[in-house]
Amino acid sequence: MSAPELEVRSLTTRYGAIRALRDASLTVGVGEVVFLIGPNGAGKTTLLNTVIGLLRPTSGQVLVRGEDVTGSSPDSMITRGVALVPEHRRIFADLTVKENLMVAGITVDAATRERRLAEMVELFPLFEKKWTTSAGYLSGGEAQQLAIARALMSDPEILLMDEPSLGLAPTLVDLVFELLGSLREQGRTMLIVEQNAQRALEIADRAYVLRSGEIIDQGTGAELRERTDLVSAYFGSQDT
Amino acid sequence: MTDIIQQLIDGLGRGSGYALLALGLAIIFGVMHLVNFAHGEVITVSAYLGYWLSIHGTSWWLIALAALGASTLTAVIIEFVAFRRVRGAEDFTMLLTSFGVAIVVRAGFSMWVSTKPRQFDKPGWIFNTVKVFGISLEVYDLIVIGVTAVTLAAVAYLLRRTMFGVSLRAAAEDFDAARLMGIRANRVISGAFALSGLLAGVAAVMILMRRGQAEPGMGLDILLPGVLAAVIGGLGSLSGAVLGGFALGLAEVMVRAWILPEGFTGLTDGVVFALIAILFIFRPEGFIRVGHAERV
Amino acid sequence: MGSSSRYLRATAGAMVLFVLLVGGGLLYAASGGGSRDILITQMLINTIIVLGLQLFIGNTGILSFGHTAFGTFAGYTVAVLTMPVSRKMAQIPDAPFGVAGVRLHPLVATGIGVLVALAVGVLVGLALTRSGAKSGAVAATIITLALLFVVHEVSLNWTDLTDGGGGLGFIPRLRGRFWIYLTLALALVATRLFAETRVGRWNKAAREDDVAAGAVGINLVPPQTIALLASVVVIAIGASLRVQSLGSMTPVFFYFDYTLLTLAMLIVGGRKGVTGAVLGVVVITAGNEFTRYLAGGDVNVPGLGWLLRPNLSLLFLGGAMLLFMLMRPEGIIPSGEVDQLASRFRRRVEDDPAPEQPPAEPADGAAVDGPALVVADVGVQFGGFRALAGVDMTARPGEIVGLIGPNGAGKTTLLNIITGVVEPTAGTVRLGDRDLTDLPPYEIARAGLARTFQNLRLFGGLPVRENVAVAAMAGEKYRGDRPRIDVDVLVAMAGLWSQRHRPASDLDYGSQRRLELARAAAMSPTLLLLDEPTSGMSDEESAVMIGHVRDTAARLKAGVIVIDHDLHFITNVCDRIYVLDHGRIIAEGTPGEIQRDPLVIEAYLGTQALP
Repeated sequence: MSAPELEVRSLTTRYGAIRALRDASLTVGVGEVVFLIGPNGAGKTTLLNTVIGLLRPTSGQVLVRGEDVTGSSPDSMITRGVALVPEHRRIFADLTVKENLMVAGITVDAATRERRLAEMVELFPLFEKKWTTSAGYLSGGEAQQLAIARALMSDPEILLMDEPSLGLAPTLVDLVFELLGSLREQGRTMLIVEQNAQRALEIADRAYVLRSGEIIDQGTGAELRERTDLVSAYFGSQDT
Repeated sequence: MTDIIQQLIDGLGRGSGYALLALGLAIIFGVMHLVNFAHGEVITVSAYLGYWLSIHGTSWWLIALAALGASTLTAVIIEFVAFRRVRGAEDFTMLLTSFGVAIVVRAGFSMWVSTKPRQFDKPGWIFNTVKVFGISLEVYDLIVIGVTAVTLAAVAYLLRRTMFGVSLRAAAEDFDAARLMGIRANRVISGAFALSGLLAGVAAVMILMRRGQAEPGMGLDILLPGVLAAVIGGLGSLSGAVLGGFALGLAEVMVRAWILPEGFTGLTDGVVFALIAILFIFRPEGFIRVGHAERV
Repeated sequence: MGSSSRYLRATAGAMVLFVLLVGGGLLYAASGGGSRDILITQMLINTIIVLGLQLFIGNTGILSFGHTAFGTFAGYTVAVLTMPVSRKMAQIPDAPFGVAGVRLHPLVATGIGVLVALAVGVLVGLALTRSGAKSGAVAATIITLALLFVVHEVSLNWTDLTDGGGGLGFIPRLRGRFWIYLTLALALVATRLFAETRVGRWNKAAREDDVAAGAVGINLVPPQTIALLASVVVIAIGASLRVQSLGSMTPVFFYFDYTLLTLAMLIVGGRKGVTGAVLGVVVITAGNEFTRYLAGGDVNVPGLGWLLRPNLSLLFLGGAMLLFMLMRPEGIIPSGEVDQLASRFRRRVEDDPAPEQPPAEPADGAAVDGPALVVADVGVQFGGFRALAGVDMTARPGEIVGLIGPNGAGKTTLLNIITGVVEPTAGTVRLGDRDLTDLPPYEIARAGLARTFQNLRLFGGLPVRENVAVAAMAGEKYRGDRPRIDVDVLVAMAGLWSQRHRPASDLDYGSQRRLELARAAAMSPTLLLLDEPTSGMSDEESAVMIGHVRDTAARLKAGVIVIDHDLHFITNVCDRIYVLDHGRIIAEGTPGEIQRDPLVIEAYLGTQALP
């Protein structure tokens, strides 16, 4: 059997004395869409940030297509075809929409960058009008699209996303999920952190449930949707 | 009227050097939150190189070119040797690290090069005056203002239109997010130091033409108005730094010409400092506020 | 430990340092010639100046290059006022204020020198505190550096008063070291005691985290100003002694080289304590003298000739500072004082037992009193983004109110508005009759709202117990009429008794959260606001936390507003719950009601109902 596209083995990450992620393991196969769900503070963002190389794990490994890339810097992860759409979007508010995308294309040559810029305008028509607007003036939904477009500038095989629907109005959440659907059709491998568990499980191939820094459950989207303990993972048992 | 214009030109001339230094400081502050007190040592290195070339009969054009190169290289080397090790450290540590570098460079020059100031020939023609509409202007001031305008325009172009400039601005706004885009931390910081060194080099050439002198302790003296300009402008704001530089230059000239009585011009710095202190009391964040609010 | 025994111990520590320093110095001087005598005199005077630096830099965390400039003010004042009139007539006949014709006793002159330096200190202090001076504040540092340069320029150019670069001479010399010993002893005691006073401890708390300091009712400005002015007094007196011991004064006496020397002493020794500062004086004095001797031309080491050159001591000072910043930025002694050694040793042998925790009184309605918090129609906009709109919320005394909602719903923003960290663009926040809407965070904390932080904001470098104690001092001062829990009991309740002397930053996640709760409780609040108290905790830790929050609130007769994503925790602990989604309250009710509310389930888990 060939190695999975992305594999995380017994990953532990600390912030100072704080252990935010404990012994987490997961795999994502080629073209798979895998969600990480669970309450806040569970360690989901820590996991993604460790995979991309913003944080260094205290132990454990990250493998891309079987190659050990633990502790690689974000730029080398991007050249390996992995990109992250960070939590809170983190768009550059002082830069224009175009400049945001340009920066995100720093790892590719100028010709490819120009081509991708054109592709992004095609994929996100709203950019055309806002091309030279400072990104700080974008609405939440527009900013989220820009954040995703930035990650696509390097045309990654593996796309990591941290709460792409965060703070968006319901109609915009629909838009984001539509976008996830079309990205999946392009065959991209995705590992997505999402609060909106119900929506996530509808389109997930598989999902992992994190709580208190540990993976406490996993399964296909359908399996997890059947299980009632998902409710208690969020809401606690009903009989207290 | 001619008096006012003359003072204005004088102020802009002084402010030019401050603005270039302040801009370099602001660029570095933007990417690594460091106030680089060693920024002036870049000028010391250029000055000694200029002295050495000058006594060997090199022309001023070549000296200027060499000073630019030396400044750029020195800034990059200082980052590599010292600042790389304190990246992300507390502000207190970074401040004293850059201060320590400045002292060590000064000590190095006074131990191994010379304790005494070294004089060398200034290009004589720059002190000629030309008459424009009845106002007599020093060639030097015109060169300084012209070169600074061109340099600032070039920097603006670089920051707006080139890949390097845009990545630099991105890194200054959100360093981690910039890394997520694939920007290499070391490369963008080295680049920022190179650019700031180059700007200091331009300032160095202007200062050397006027002073014709190199001495070990010159760095911090020359740097201080630049640091003040960067703070007045709003630390981290690039346009604020330039604005602060010119404002400081103009303030000095005006205090000297119109506020202090004759014979007290030596107190100019004192009055300007008092004005700056008062500015901070009423506008603590400087001219331009750089707000990427802290998450609480 | 009571405050009087605390002061007593600190004074004893200062005396130990005095005896060691003076005794060591006298022994060294006795073993050599007259030059050693002068060296020791200068070292003792330098110690006074370094103590002045420590008082400000060490306690506030603000790096100042300009403190020696206050020495220039005092130095010139003393010089001008004590010189013989005949000399003044020769050197500075046109001196302003008619000082050329006056000659005063050195003590009086020193007093006036202190006042002059203080007057400048007030102006600088205003600029510093207004420029947002806090630990590591860069703008503040640059203002002080500018002060140093400018004072030098002015003293060089105001020749009517200073006679320029050549300086002033014929200042009556100090005879003997009596005044130096006296000042040194007083300076040691004063700086050591200052660190133990309320103002000193509040400065140190603000040094560690200015936002958290505001949240426990500390207004940074008065403590920082007091530290600044106190340090100016110490430095001014030290400068007066230095001028009198040298018999002259020039613009460079308190300029760059002296700043570098004294700053290196403070930084290398350890800026956060008096013991570190004193050790730094000794180490740097020794190193400085040794490098001067090496470079003096009397020493000839084969192969090292290139290094043994004039100005080696400058390389030593700069190099020492740089190396310490790169390798050990907190100095040789990062924390602690000589007088704490004994108790540290004793603790290692046998620790005190934890205090008894009196059982909590039942929180019956009658026992609970105090005003209710009313949030009315609050909204806030960041740029074009409406983070909150039309939020109404009430927390009655003694009640535990939950605030939940998906990530990004605006919960922390609401908490920040209530506690004054963020200003709302609409609406009001009231506590009883009092309008809190536009008050700064420290005023709101004093009014009775104590909070914890989602991302943990402890005073990391301070001991665990001290984190609680600084808040308790504010509680005692501003909230004396409310029920209070003893500091030691709070520490024990948080399960941190055995770790109470360790720095708070050493604690694990759960312990840090419990410590933040204890710190907030020490304010004797009317209302505790907890931002995700169980985030990142295991289930067992969360369960402990539930009991802990209930118990603390009951003892304080305080209400609680708690934000959490852990609905298990929220439903177990709360009387009433508000649900926030997209900046609006979408539901309010008892835990049972909320758990069944389809709107809430939808907000959390998605648009469709659960199977």
